[in-house]
Amino acid sequence: MAGESWFVWALIAGMAAIAFLTRAVFILPGSHLRLPPTAERVLRYAPAAAIMAIIVPDIALVQGALSISIENPRLVGGLVAFALAASTRSVFATIAGGMLALTLVRQFAG
Amino acid sequence: MQREQISALREGALASAGLLVGIVPWGIVAGVAMVSAGLTQTQAVAMSVLVFAGTAQLAVLPLLVAKAPLWVMVATALVVNLRYVIYSAVLAPHFEHLPRLWRVLLSYITVDGVFALFAGSYRPEDGNPHKHWYFLGGSLLMWCAWQLSSWIGIFAGAMIPREWSLEFASTLALIALLIPLLFDRAVVCGALAAGGVALIAAKLPLNLGLLAAIAVGVAVGLAVARLGPRKEEGRV
Repeated sequence: MAGESWFVWALIAGMAAIAFLTRAVFILPGSHLRLPPTAERVLRYAPAAAIMAIIVPDIALVQGALSISIENPRLVGGLVAFALAASTRSVFATIAGGMLALTLVRQFAG
Repeated sequence: MQREQISALREGALASAGLLVGIVPWGIVAGVAMVSAGLTQTQAVAMSVLVFAGTAQLAVLPLLVAKAPLWVMVATALVVNLRYVIYSAVLAPHFEHLPRLWRVLLSYITVDGVFALFAGSYRPEDGNPHKHWYFLGGSLLMWCAWQLSSWIGIFAGAMIPREWSLEFASTLALIALLIPLLFDRAVVCGALAAGGVALIAAKLPLNLGLLAAIAVGVAVGLAVARLGPRKEEGRV
């Protein structure tokens, strides 16, 4: 990872700029703009879409190929986590249950 | 500092104390996930201090592990941080009279929970001269809790063997973060569409599939919101 050190630092710098600018965009100029409802909708829908678009390939693809199988540990772990997150709303239960399912599938199906 | 300022600072911190239960596990998970994704301890500490945006940090880590290009990760951080643009618009009239340095500080330190408490307690026209101290009190408590819990995760994470695949914890944490965001049918449809497109378009170069998925997800969400029954407007 040492060779890619500049890459991670550039990522941190870029994210720091984004994190500050999205929060400062109206506060810093002291703007009185009221966001139109459609703009507010876009700003609310985009994060959920982005998070789902990161999760789904991460659990359903194995080395770039679709793997809908009980032998795919990440898929089983992810689905268990979805069920736990929806039913318990507990961060701990979601992560612990998902990691446990991942480990079990690796042990027995792998 | 005057008495009223100190008491507003303390009031904000006390009102936000309930949020600690939520923020501490996130900080630990983010810390573990950062080092599991390959960041050095120094980089992970720098990220939690300079970025200070848990969702963006957790969202970027699976992409870092998958070796996505830099600009795709920064674009993703932007998209998941778009909710802060809404907060910024709501907060701006409250803080417009403050010196620039104050506005920089309050921008940097804004977090979801304290924003919600603040927006529920104050109106822009209420003329309360100490409300920024309330906001700062709650936010400082969250900042300290986030940094301390991240550091615990960072140093614990460095001791956990790689075979445990703890980098998967960031994906699981995103699942826990996603559920409360799915507040109506339009968001759910948009998110499902985004997930589907991300899968189909995974082969596109430069992770363009991710950005295509976000665009389609937002479009589907807007379409469903327009077509669906208008609950809020139709009833009194």
